[in-house]
Amino acid sequence: MRFIAIFKAVTKNWLRSRVGLFFSVMFPVMLLVIFGSIFGGNNYIPTITAAFIMTNGVIGLTSTNTEFKRRGIIKRLSITPLTKTDWIVGCVLSQTLLNLILAGIMIGLGWGVFGVRVIPDPLTILMIFLGSVMFAGIGMALSGLIKDVEAASAMGNAISFPMMFLSGVFVPLTIMPSYMQLISRVLPLTYFADGLKAAIITKSTNAIFLNMAVVAALAVVFIIVGVRLTQWKEK
Amino acid sequence: MSSVCNSEGVTKVAVEVNSLVKQYDGLKAVDGISFSVIEDEVFAFLGPNGAGKTTTVEILECLRPLTKRTARVCGFDVSKEKEVKEIKKHIGVLPQDFNALDKLTVKENIELIADMYEKHLNVNDIIKLLNLEEKANAKFENLSGGLKQRVGIAAALVSDPKLVFLDEPTTGLDPKARRDVWDVLANLKKLGKTVFLTTHYMEEAQVLADRIAIIDKGKIAAIGSCQELIEKHGGLKVLVIRRADKSVADKLQEKFEHVTINSNGDINVKIDSTDEFYRIMHTLTEMKVEPDIEIQTPTIEDVFLKITGSKISEEGEAK
Repeated sequence: MRFIAIFKAVTKNWLRSRVGLFFSVMFPVMLLVIFGSIFGGNNYIPTITAAFIMTNGVIGLTSTNTEFKRRGIIKRLSITPLTKTDWIVGCVLSQTLLNLILAGIMIGLGWGVFGVRVIPDPLTILMIFLGSVMFAGIGMALSGLIKDVEAASAMGNAISFPMMFLSGVFVPLTIMPSYMQLISRVLPLTYFADGLKAAIITKSTNAIFLNMAVVAALAVVFIIVGVRLTQWKEK
Repeated sequence: MSSVCNSEGVTKVAVEVNSLVKQYDGLKAVDGISFSVIEDEVFAFLGPNGAGKTTTVEILECLRPLTKRTARVCGFDVSKEKEVKEIKKHIGVLPQDFNALDKLTVKENIELIADMYEKHLNVNDIIKLLNLEEKANAKFENLSGGLKQRVGIAAALVSDPKLVFLDEPTTGLDPKARRDVWDVLANLKKLGKTVFLTTHYMEEAQVLADRIAIIDKGKIAAIGSCQELIEKHGGLKVLVIRRADKSVADKLQEKFEHVTINSNGDINVKIDSTDEFYRIMHTLTEMKVEPDIEIQTPTIEDVFLKITGSKISEEGEAK
């Protein structure tokens, strides 16, 4: 059960990092308060949560892992009997827990501030798990491809921000020009945000399962790419 | 496990490397080296940066694939995936530039490595062994360089390995911290560990190692105990006569070979026998000189200079 030890260690390391906590929790909370106060909480609770689950994988995990790689921490672990799979499973579980904490805080804020009484169900948790796997896969892939820490986080940002704006997180897709709506259909965040919205707000079974199927399929693809691109041995 | 015979009988071999080659595109980082590390000895690779030390060690740790020929660790082949699993169980490693998770404590970091093994020592015992009790709950990021290295050594020992690799264990440390680490490392032999050390510090190899392999440009230039290397390659002892008159220098130059005068006026005479030493002293007595003398024995630095034609700077560069 080596992945459990990895899960515990990387989670603790993250929970004690103030910079990490700010970007993963405080920042989305601020955005929800601002956008929710202007436009109402219903839409923004799931979409901002989804967007930050995305950045936690694509920016957060990417920069943490390139930093681990640069400092030789991954090398140190790879000398032990730990396998690459155990390492990745541990990291993905840690991302899932972090994202569940984030979702919990956002939903709590919805209750407290906006009076949106959401009760998370198993489907919501499953959706968050699948989203965590999908975006962790992208994060793993990026940190496998890019050696330089700054370049990796720049790349994470360059992918995340356009995706956030083109997936209907802040601005509803329906008011966007048709070509932008077309672009949004190929972005994984669109399906994840829609799915999460369906799971916690609209409770539309069709929308939940349709989006969940897409997210699950993408999660499998990205995690395979992530595993492939993670270097466990030097050249 | 393979065995070789020496004068004391049968000895077990911990590491066996046979004409090992590691090639990167055009560059041969390791160029056909062969050597063995005997169980229970402290073996050191001494050489400048880029000599191939870390590359070799990382091949033995199964971290890099080799290009040609063979290397066996604890009797297992590093090129065979199934045997790699066995090797990983039996080795402990302090990698070059060791780092751990910054926000975890000393204890948590050592526990993390311990948890990677099916069997490991009690983490508290290891912390005690390395004198880290006071710092056990300090975060790794707040430790000094010397303490970080001690955590690295603790992590290398926690799985109770028979063979320990230490890659540049004191690089970048101040002299005090370096000596502290040496004290720790000197203890490993008493604990019955076989130690494979790499360093660019001559003194470190001399203080810690039973046998030294001098490695330069991917090749082993010489191998043996410090004593053996000095006897074989160190050159002659030098008699230094301080604050002597010009007349003394002239007289000695007339009677003996290898007499040089330093810029500060000291006379250096290379002596190749005890007899020659007595004859020099006799000459000095005849001249009624009461000299201030010193005999300098060649050091491992002299051996290195003679064999490779270069010195190693504090930073590890050949010059």
